[in-house]
Amino acid sequence: MTVEEHLPASRGGRPEGPGGGEHGNKTARRPAYAHLFWWFLFANGGGLTALVLPVHILVQGILGPLRIVPVVDRHYDTWTAIIGNPIVKLYLLVLFALAFFHFAHRLRYLLVDLGVPAAKGTPAQVIFYGGAGLVTLVTLWILLTTVPISLG
Amino acid sequence: MPSTWWTRKRHYVTYMLREFTAVPMAAWLLWFLVEIKRAGDGPARYSPHVSTAFVVFSVVCFAFATYHSYTFLKLAGVIMHVRLFDRAVPPRVVVLTMFGLWAVASIAIAAVLIGFAR
Repeated sequence: MTVEEHLPASRGGRPEGPGGGEHGNKTARRPAYAHLFWWFLFANGGGLTALVLPVHILVQGILGPLRIVPVVDRHYDTWTAIIGNPIVKLYLLVLFALAFFHFAHRLRYLLVDLGVPAAKGTPAQVIFYGGAGLVTLVTLWILLTTVPISLG
Repeated sequence: MPSTWWTRKRHYVTYMLREFTAVPMAAWLLWFLVEIKRAGDGPARYSPHVSTAFVVFSVVCFAFATYHSYTFLKLAGVIMHVRLFDRAVPPRVVVLTMFGLWAVASIAIAAVLIGFAR
């Protein structure tokens, strides 16, 4: 897992996890900066997707296709008008970037929990976080090349 | 430990279910990315998804995404330690604030997605 592992053992975290063992051996302990960095992206990605993703799926994936409400992506002109907005482009870039770093972190620990210790290693980190970075770059490329930025 | 350890207890199953939410959420967002890319195809070739299969896919993803929201925002009370006027804000207030934020964000995004449609 994820969140509990980063909490001290006294607050429900794993005693052996990065956040645990606060009463243990104090020698040879260094702050895990890399872990902290990935966890920062994980937590913010988790928070942002928690706040905004259900409504996107509900409106664009269910209510729109069932024609219960009109939705911007149902017509080419309204869809390109909203995607061309620079604030929407920035929002989508932040959403995709943070979301996929969150997914990468979660899926890596899901594999660890399913008995794949290799998912903790550096090659796995390169694959998972590299994949999230790649999705971010592809998103940036799509946002910059698909519909020109316009305020109209 | 066998890789099926999490099937032994209900709590373990819900824990793994929470971890698994990343898969359908990623799948739906990848579809969303393709949908943005399709806007570049031009007005003649663009057609929105209406198939039953797509709606079913979205319903499944919506269930997992909502479960992620519920579990993640509930944990905010444990993770976030907020101090206001030199006093610690009770975890219950932090969680309620997060759920309030969820409601506000959902209404705002729905308003944009529906309000700018025709």
